[in-house]
Amino acid sequence: MAELVSRTLEGAGSPTSASPKVWVRGLSLSYASPRGPIPALENVSLSVGAGEFCCIVGPSGCGKSTLLRVLAGLIPATAGEVHIRSDGRDRPLTAMVFQDYALLPWRTVLDNVAFGPENRGVPRAERYRIAREILAKVGLSGFEHAYPHQLSGGMKQRVGIARALANDPEVLLMDEPLAALDAQTRNLMQEELLRIWSQFGKTVVYVTHAIDEAVLLGDRVVVMTARPGRVKAVVPVDLDRPRTLEQKGSARFAQLYNEVWQLLREEVGVASAEGGGDG
Amino acid sequence: MVSATPRAEGAARSAVLSVLSVVVLLAGWEVSARVGWIREAFFPRPSSLLSQFQLLLRDGTLGLHMGATVGRLFWAFVLAAVPGVAVGLAMGVWRAARDTLDPLFAFVYPIPSVLFLPLAAFVLGRGEPARVLTSAVTSFFLVATNTMAGVRQLDRGILEAGIHYGATGHNLFFKVLLPGALPWIFTGLRLGLGFALIVVVAVEMVGAERGLGALLWLSWQTLKVRDMYVTLLTIGFLGLLTTYGLERLRSWLLPWQPKTEVRR
Repeated sequence: MAELVSRTLEGAGSPTSASPKVWVRGLSLSYASPRGPIPALENVSLSVGAGEFCCIVGPSGCGKSTLLRVLAGLIPATAGEVHIRSDGRDRPLTAMVFQDYALLPWRTVLDNVAFGPENRGVPRAERYRIAREILAKVGLSGFEHAYPHQLSGGMKQRVGIARALANDPEVLLMDEPLAALDAQTRNLMQEELLRIWSQFGKTVVYVTHAIDEAVLLGDRVVVMTARPGRVKAVVPVDLDRPRTLEQKGSARFAQLYNEVWQLLREEVGVASAEGGGDG
Repeated sequence: MVSATPRAEGAARSAVLSVLSVVVLLAGWEVSARVGWIREAFFPRPSSLLSQFQLLLRDGTLGLHMGATVGRLFWAFVLAAVPGVAVGLAMGVWRAARDTLDPLFAFVYPIPSVLFLPLAAFVLGRGEPARVLTSAVTSFFLVATNTMAGVRQLDRGILEAGIHYGATGHNLFFKVLLPGALPWIFTGLRLGLGFALIVVVAVEMVGAERGLGALLWLSWQTLKVRDMYVTLLTIGFLGLLTTYGLERLRSWLLPWQPKTEVRR
């Protein structure tokens, strides 16, 4: 899968100067259909710095999830380049947190979290040590031997996040990870994500349709156009860190929220006029 | 409304209901026969069937015939389950296998398996192999079809996650596809086991000297009504025991399946 996304070593390769962690240039992708190719992404260029939390928002069907799947190496792009800078350690480039959790129902929490290292040949004792350590950090100690069906939605997604972290990726990809949760749980999990991110310091590319989530979590918010998805604008978020839920009540938060919403509302109009699907 | 019932309470209630229905049926039968509402010549009392059962058990008749049936059932089930799971998995994974075998399955599956006995006996000779093979035919199709469906119904998101987290080749097969299909495989095995018993008994009726099917046929021909009933009930209990045994194996092997129950 790695050949779809090129691995650039530290201090080498094409992206120079600031040397971003993720570097996307002129990325386009179209799906084949009986009536010809349907463009999903068009000339997307984006760079994400090391340790940055980058949020992507866009109307339904704009291809934001597709972009994430290209970064994950799950689907190939039609044109363009994707580079992810590696620090030279032997570890996966990306690990994805899925919207519908996508846990393996027949594995316990511990074995789900240890799944990535297991497939990379990490010995049993070592991968369980890693899994237990990360489960403790995401607040799931004591649930190691539970099965996914015994957990609430919020807990399942903690397992999803722990599974991604256990694989120790260069970049963490999150595809609307809180979209399936109820409003209260979503708020709590936003706070949890801030806490976990500050502990692990990962580079994150985070797709969401919730503007408040994007502003609260992100260092920058990338706004995408309706299909075919392009980068419409990038809004830097200058709220202080560490962040808390309380900042949602601040004047600056409201300003940023509105700025993103104004950019987005035109696109949402276009998307709903076309009656576009999801993806 | 779908809810996970409080486990112990729900189980106890189901057990009571299951036993109660049998007890009521037997008591009604016993009383009706004693009072003379039904003719004992056709419907002997349950209590007399019990003593006849003990008799047949003690003189070794039942053991002899049941041994033959259980042996055939075992081999027929193995002969159906092992290739059934293998072929079903192949059909689930490879489109080519599915396209090739699907029409063949659709053609052979509806043929009542007992009808293969003459053909099997012609090719293999009149003996155990022909009887066992005949008994395995329909079960094989049930196991294979359910196994294939089990692979095909696997959630795409789970498959994608498995691949994304590095499960490829045999890891993908043994850690994602096979466990994901297991609940369906068990459904196929359960159906297959039931069908294997049906066909074993049918084959014994038409072409064997020993076996519960043969005993049933013999009792009918010699008009031993009680023996007939005892044999019939023994066949039923055999089915019950093997099916529940398989269910126990399933819940032991698949502890991850949510036990939900639909309640009104």
